[in-house]
Amino acid sequence: MGIFRPAEEQAVREHLAGLERRVELALVLGPEEEPVPGAREIDFSAESRRLLEELVSLGEGRLGLSVHENGAFDVERFPAICVLPEGADAGVRYYGLPWGYELTSLVGACVEAGRTESSLSAESLELLATLPKDVSIDVFVTPT
Amino acid sequence: MRAAAIEATEFPALADSMDVWAVPKIVVEGVPRYEGAVPERVFVSRLLEAAGQPTGE
Repeated sequence: MGIFRPAEEQAVREHLAGLERRVELALVLGPEEEPVPGAREIDFSAESRRLLEELVSLGEGRLGLSVHENGAFDVERFPAICVLPEGADAGVRYYGLPWGYELTSLVGACVEAGRTESSLSAESLELLATLPKDVSIDVFVTPT
Repeated sequence: MRAAAIEATEFPALADSMDVWAVPKIVVEGVPRYEGAVPERVFVSRLLEAAGQPTGE
């Protein structure tokens, strides 16, 4: 069974059609984990891979996918998806399986990474430029 | 800038350590800060505040 329903497929296609440059997705898989009864019926790594393969196919050449093992891109937990505009590491990650509503977050990250100009306002960019060093932002989300 | 989305239910211990009771929960430099989606202007202002910068407000 496909991951996306026909209407979702069409919506994702339309979003990805707007990419102005190619975006690479790097999936980093971790070491095998001991299953926890009742909590790990799903193979998150395999599902992530399946989902990304389908997403990339909807990108019609605008998205690429590579799969890596533990240690790549200095990721902290698994599975991890690194969103790389034109293959460059811009520091954008998704940790976990982006299912449910969170697929929208990943598609949104691809769309943003695919822009050649920031979607932030000039005022925001000016303010953010005053930061003296890299700042890390973690956004905790849930699929529902 | 480094930005990560973290699926809270897959990393419950981490989510618990960051006091994630509602989503989206924003953590800046490893410190739990805010909950809820806000407009860009507010987000940037909060981010600068969390990073110890003047907020422009």
